[in-house]
Order: sequence, then C-alpha cells, then structure tokens
Amino acid sequence: MKKRKIQLKTSTCLVFLAAAIFVAVVPAVNEGYSMMVLNLGLIYAIATYGLSVMLGLGGQLSFAAVAFMGVGAYLTANLCSGRHGFWVGTSLTLLITLLVSAALAYFVGLILFRLSGTYFTFATIGLVQVAWSFYLSYKPLFGGPDGISNIASLRIFGWTPANYNEWFFVLAGIVLVVALLVERIRRSQLGRSLSAIRDNEIAAQTLGIHVYKTKVIAFTIAGVLAALAGALYAMHSQFVSSDMFTFERATSYIIMAMLGGVNNTAGIFVGSVLVTMLPEWLRGMQKYLQLIYGIGVILLMIFMPMGLAGLTSNIGKSIKRKLFPKAPQADKRAKEDAKA
Amino acid sequence: MNLNTMISLTINGFAMGMIYALMAMGLILLIRAIGVMNFAQGDLLMFGAFITCALTVDLKLPLWALIPIALVIFSVVGVVFMFTVYWPLRNATYPTATVISTMGAAMVLKEIATLIWGSLPRSMPPLMKNPTTGKAAILKFNGVTLQWQFVLTILVGIVLITLVFILFEKLYAGRMMQAAAQDKYAAELLGIPTILTTAATYIIVVTLASVGGYMIAPIFMVSNTLGSLQLRAFAGVVIGGFGNIKGAILGSILIGLVESYSTVQFSQYKDAVVFLVLIAVLLIRPQGLFGEKVADKA
Repeated sequence: MKKRKIQLKTSTCLVFLAAAIFVAVVPAVNEGYSMMVLNLGLIYAIATYGLSVMLGLGGQLSFAAVAFMGVGAYLTANLCSGRHGFWVGTSLTLLITLLVSAALAYFVGLILFRLSGTYFTFATIGLVQVAWSFYLSYKPLFGGPDGISNIASLRIFGWTPANYNEWFFVLAGIVLVVALLVERIRRSQLGRSLSAIRDNEIAAQTLGIHVYKTKVIAFTIAGVLAALAGALYAMHSQFVSSDMFTFERATSYIIMAMLGGVNNTAGIFVGSVLVTMLPEWLRGMQKYLQLIYGIGVILLMIFMPMGLAGLTSNIGKSIKRKLFPKAPQADKRAKEDAKA
Repeated sequence: MNLNTMISLTINGFAMGMIYALMAMGLILLIRAIGVMNFAQGDLLMFGAFITCALTVDLKLPLWALIPIALVIFSVVGVVFMFTVYWPLRNATYPTATVISTMGAAMVLKEIATLIWGSLPRSMPPLMKNPTTGKAAILKFNGVTLQWQFVLTILVGIVLITLVFILFEKLYAGRMMQAAAQDKYAAELLGIPTILTTAATYIIVVTLASVGGYMIAPIFMVSNTLGSLQLRAFAGVVIGGFGNIKGAILGSILIGLVESYSTVQFSQYKDAVVFLVLIAVLLIRPQGLFGEKVADKA
C-alpha cells in the first residue's frame, strides 16, 4: 500500500498566501464603514458558496438563496432581539438556525426537485417572491415594513466582537471553513455525482446516481449556507428588513458567483467581495455605477463565461507554457499515467 | 363581494393579464428563436413606457405621429438589444452565461432610463380623457365604473395578439421565422437569412413589451420599477406551458385575474398569492396547463 501523502499544488499555496495577506492587510488599513461593507461581502460569500454547490457543481440555476437567507436572518432576529419576551444565546441560535433551515431546505428541495431545468428555476423565483411578500407584510414574525432592530451581537465563549474589525476576523474564519467544506464537497462523491448530473442527467442516472436525492442534498447544503449567512448578517447589522431579500438581491448573488468563476472556490470569494466593494471604490462615479456594472456583466459573459477564475487559469497556463516550454503539464501527466 | 365589484375586478384583471400576455408572448418567441429566457423583458416594457412618455409628454406628439416614430425607435432598440446581448453569445458553451447576460442587460436598460429621464416617477395622460375635467375617462354602466384605459388595454392586447398569430400562421415571413427558430442550420441551408429572422423576432418582442408599457403607463406611473412586472409574465409563461404561445396568453390572463381578485381579500399578500398559484400549478402539472413535454433548451 502506498502511504498517503498530502499534496500541495502551487496554485493552492498561492491561494492560501493571498488569503493570509488579505486577512492580515485589509483590517490594518480599513476601519469603520468600509470595514462594514467588506464584512457584508464576506457574509454574501457564504451564501454564494451555497450557490456554487447548486449552480457550479449541480448546474441548477436557483434563486432560492435569498429566501433561505431570510429564514436565517429572521430566526436570529426573533430569538435574539427579545421581541417575544425571551432571549436565546447567540451560539444556540446559530445551531437552531442551521437545524431548522436544513430541515426546511430539505423539505422545500423535495418539493421543488419534482421539477427540472427551467421549471425548477421558476419555482425558486416563486419561492423568493412568496417569502419576500411575507417578510414584507407579516408583522408578528417579520416586523413588517419596519424590520426588526436590536438584535444581539454574536457571542462566542463569552467574547463579543467589539467593532467591525474584530467581526472581520470572525467572518473570515467562518468563510475559510465554508470554503474548505465546499472544496471538500467538490472532491467528494457527492460533488462528482453533482457534476455528472450537470453534464448529463440521463447518463448520470444510468451510472447509478440517485439524481433526485443528490439534487435535494445539494439544495439543502445551499439552503443551510444561505441561512448561516442570513443569521450572521442579522447579528452583524443588528437589524433586519425585507429589502435584503428581494429578487434583485437574488440576481446579484448569481452575478457574484459568475464573476468569480462558478466552479472555483477561491473565485467565488473574490467575486463576492468585488461585487460588494465595487460601489465603495467607484464612489465618485455613483451615477454611472449600475450602468458600468450591467455592461460589465454582459462583457464578462461574452469574454469569460467562467469568470475571473477561468481568466487567471488561462493566464497561468500561458505563463507556464512560456516559462517551461519543454515540459508542458499535459505531457507530464500522461507520462505519470503511463507509468502507473 | 357584489356583482359590480366582481365585474370591475374581472376587467381590471383581464387588462393586466393582457399586459403580462404581451410580455409572455415575447418571452416565448425568444425561447423558440434562441432558446433563452430573457430576464430583461420587464425592463424592455419599462423602457418602452419611458420612450412613449417622452414622445407624448415632452414632444407632445399626436397619436398618428406617435405610432410610426415609436415603432422605429422600438425597432432600433430591438436590433441593438440583439446585437449586444445575444449575438456575441450565440455560440456560448455555457447556457447560463446567456441568461446572466440578459440580467446584465436589464440593469443597463434601467440605468439608461434613469440617466436620460431621471429617477422620479413621471405621470402620463390617459389615452381617453374626460373633456371637462381632463382626468381619465370613466366608463359607467349599471353602476359599474371602469377606467377606459383598462378597456383600451384589452382591445390593444387582442389586436396585437391577433397580428402576431396572423404573422406566424398565415404569412410566408412568419413561416420563415418559425423555420429558423426550430432548426437554424436547416433553415440556413434552405437559404433563410436567420440573422434577419432573429432580428425581426427581437423587434417584435421589444414592440410587444413596449406597447404594454405604453398602455399601463397612465395606470401606474412611469418609473424604473416597472421592470418587476416581468416576474408575472414569467409566471404566466410557466403556467401556460413552456414554448406554447396560446398557453402563455391564457396563463398570463389567469395571473392577472388571480392578482386582481386577491386584492380584495389579501391585498398585502398579492405577490404571494400569485406565486403560490404558480408553485401549485408547477407541482400538480409541471408541464403547465396547456404544455406538452418540450425539450428544455435553456
């Protein structure tokens, strides 16, 4: 038997290095408002990771992320704001949120995946719209148009992040865990089954993959991640209102995923942060911002449908080819395969 | 609920259903022609409303001059839309990319409208005015009161729908367009200029949506939030059955009626009711009320 070796590719090392620099440098040079926006970007990244499991791996275009973000956010808001006369600790709330949203997402997935392809996408649009109008109008649970304020901040082992910079480290840690989890899923049996379903559903079925069950599980994962993002959003902003959970927001998550590269774990993160921070960086062009953004989305789809990740991997390949013209990666692989 | 409210709700719902049907028909034409759901349909309607509003309010054009000028502008918008959002992506390997680019187009349309006409909602005079008060003309019979605008909307909707049907069922040009939509390669072998038929489809789609915008502009205000109406058109398309124009029209009218009736009991949850109907239909009959199983291109 061969001893299992931990292999680290150069690209993986580079990603971790970039992440470490990001976590070290960013909070040192930013504070206050811009840090808050960045934190929101990290929170959105968690939901977008869920989307990448659905869209990138499974090929199922789902708008449902905002609906489940709403579930997480409003559960947290109800349990941690004392508006019903009781308080629940934030860690316990997070646990409850994850469990409830998992059950809910599983159930909804069971129903929605009786549909396939575009029909499924439309059912998720319907779900978003139904959820949103309840979030907007039903006062006892969702606060109606005023939203819910006074939500308790996160408390881990007696420690509460005092400002946005401290929140940043908490969120960065959670994002890292989620990213590793998604990367793990990508390489697991579930991920490979999902990719098979994406590429050819009928072929996947003939290979013995339980298509329906696999899709439902992916939907549940996406739902749980979205709900986690929602819960963190509620604790971070200490305020929740329905305009976070509209259909327009749902499209922006999809754009985040597509910008970064829907099948690339590091790309998803970059995409989420870029889309969130863009309005901050281009503050001077506020008037034209949305226009630039829209044109950017179209150009992105035309020139690099696999997002920034696709672009960087192409650039990386061409650099490699120029640096090591004699030993192209493909040949080396082929030789190794031949040996084994 | 007495009979009179019932009648006026029905007419209102029918009129809104007609607007959704105009958008839904455009959606189906595009699904057939290029196999992609257009997420900018509602913003095309919004854009059309702004264009016609600018022509009637700012330039004070009479109706006979408005129609040809507006049609020319819609055609230009349609062709530009096609060559920016669809043409570069026609060979895209990743189908979601085309859908996302229409989402980008929706944003661009909304922003262009805001940059040109500002972000404040604009009001538009109704097509039929009361000569003494200058407000919207009201139709009264047997104690039922209705705005003429709703009745006109229904009439215009019926005329346009009939025209599209005549085009596709009776005219040679329409058959060419259908052939190109069904099998682009074979159509090209037969010498059908598919680029022209696709452009024609886009012009028809933009015109249908824009006329819808023109008709509802006096009822709602002209503002860049009109784009959200497209979700109802989607619901209509899905309820009717994908790829089926007749079904989409009936589905859209059904959505209009459901929306109108639901305002009586639960006006706050109007959206929820419409989409619960959608989800219910999808679960009971996933192929839509009038659909057969069609290949899912998008």
